[in-house]
Amino acid sequence: MNVIDITGLCKQFTGKRMTKVDALKGIDLKIAQGEIFGFLGPNGAGKSTTIKCLMGLIRPTAGTAAIMGEQIGSVASRAKIGFLPENPAFYDYLTAEEYLRFVGKTFKMPEALLTRRADETLKQLELWDARKRPMRGYSKGMVQRVGLAQTMIHDPDLYILDEPMSGLDPIGRALVKDIILDLKKRGKSVFFSTHITDDVEKVCDRVGVIVKGQLEALDSVENIVRQGIEGYMVQTRLSRGNHEALGGFAVARTNETFIEYFVPVAGFNEFMALAGQHSVEVTLVETKRKDLESFFLEIVGKGK
Amino acid sequence: MTTIIGITLKGIFRDRVFQGIMVTACAFVLIPGLATLSMRQVTELSLTLTLSLISFIMLMLSVFLGGTSLWKDIERRYTFSVLGLPLSRQGYLLGRFGGTALFLLLVAVVLGIAAGAVVAFTASVHPPDRPIVWGTVALCILFDVLKYILLIAVAFLISTVSTSFFLPVFGTIATFLAGGVTQQVYEYIHSPASKNLSPIMKQLATGLYYLLPNFSAFDLKVNAIYGLPVPANGLFLTVAYFVVYVGLLLSFSAAIFSRREMR
Ligand SMILES: Nc1ncnc2c1ncn2[C@@H]1O[C@H](COP(=O)(O)OP(=O)(O)OP(=O)(O)O)[C@@H](O)[C@H]1O
Ligand SMILES: [Mg+2]
Repeated sequence: MNVIDITGLCKQFTGKRMTKVDALKGIDLKIAQGEIFGFLGPNGAGKSTTIKCLMGLIRPTAGTAAIMGEQIGSVASRAKIGFLPENPAFYDYLTAEEYLRFVGKTFKMPEALLTRRADETLKQLELWDARKRPMRGYSKGMVQRVGLAQTMIHDPDLYILDEPMSGLDPIGRALVKDIILDLKKRGKSVFFSTHITDDVEKVCDRVGVIVKGQLEALDSVENIVRQGIEGYMVQTRLSRGNHEALGGFAVARTNETFIEYFVPVAGFNEFMALAGQHSVEVTLVETKRKDLESFFLEIVGKGK
Repeated sequence: MTTIIGITLKGIFRDRVFQGIMVTACAFVLIPGLATLSMRQVTELSLTLTLSLISFIMLMLSVFLGGTSLWKDIERRYTFSVLGLPLSRQGYLLGRFGGTALFLLLVAVVLGIAAGAVVAFTASVHPPDRPIVWGTVALCILFDVLKYILLIAVAFLISTVSTSFFLPVFGTIATFLAGGVTQQVYEYIHSPASKNLSPIMKQLATGLYYLLPNFSAFDLKVNAIYGLPVPANGLFLTVAYFVVYVGLLLSFSAAIFSRREMR
């Protein structure tokens, strides 16, 4: 079963003086159980708008969506998920501990479990020392951590996170990546938006790129990375063999000991055969690939 | 919904609203002194002053707590996090309303007890002409509470359509002022004195009379101050009016709020 099922989702905002913004122009997207999905897109692409529609905060102009089979907007559709809004804000007169208890109660957690889970998540997100202070005095990153903690307290099956890494220090980001990888191991599904391709490459199974309200790409990270292979960097020893035989290949770099050739994917077998025939010693082969970042930039660039 | 009521009460207490009221209520101590200056009907005057002070504090509370509750949640972006939880919008709104109303009741009880002590003290020094009927005084405060709870419901209804705090706060004040005179206006236009008013004006005023809340029925101050009996069927009608009016206001608010876009 799909945990998220979006069909033809459109959203038009009507601003002041009847100006209209088409924030979403027909999004179709299905997220399977156990999948870690990265929702990439430049600023203003419609990531948060999609997520707000899913959470029933705004109503789509057209199209439908369901979360675990429940129509969006219903209380039932929010009953089994952990949601982190973009730049979250929580009742700032409460302490982190009180807020987590409040969230747990809305998910109808039994008292003993709630106490145990509140302690666990506070420790996991390094909020333990601050847990008895009102959130009014928290730093941006600490509030973000509370946001993550409140998605995890009831151990939901699906996480919907709008920029989970935003505002976190490198240690915090690494922690979030570890948390997501751990969730994956436990068969949970995660749908998160970001503009940082590196995060996606490290943790996601699949990625969707949204540009100006349209889903421009949708593929597994593995596929993208594989398709991204442009060729190989082959390092050879300068002192051995006849390098003139390899004149057909571009030389990328040379120094006193090595010559490095750039070999396109199609020419690899020929190169290796020639090198063998002319006793050229190959010391290193490295794959040259476009990373997700350039893939992302290419797609965004195409949209312009 | 009960969790939201709890959170609401916690918020009001942590914002030191209660402490603020307690400081204001220190004015009670001055009342016997002030009343003595009048030389006559000292106890009646202290009763009038304490009841008015309680009424004023409750007016401030219903205007500012009622008028800013939803606005604050939207403005500070709490709605994104809270409405993403498995809570219904209606439950949320009713919880917010319930918490505010409960706080008002609590304040009235505490202030009522303090007022009772002050008036009892004055009465022991300056015995009143007629004995104080404490039951009527309590009833007067209770109906004042109902009146302001109704006003909170008005403030919530305005908040559900407004994007600023300006409209709810001033709209509520305006409703309060208008609600205090609708009965008089109604009686005036149905009296011979209003012969030369245009019929359109009359119809408009009658329409407003039925639309706006009528607060005069909730006012039992005179009965409390002079120990006059209160007719039971009048009270019953007022309570029924309160239930129906607040029920309607909250249903409209809930319907509007659950359709509202949180963007
Ligand atoms: N309340 C609103 N009123 C009018 N237009 C809006 C509103 N909210 C968003 N938009 C528009 O919708 C589009 C998508 O916005 P959205 O917030 O979904 O972007 P995003 O992908 O989350 O961007 P970011 O990476 O900056 O968070 C933008 O063009 C934005 O201007
Ligand atoms: Mg966003």
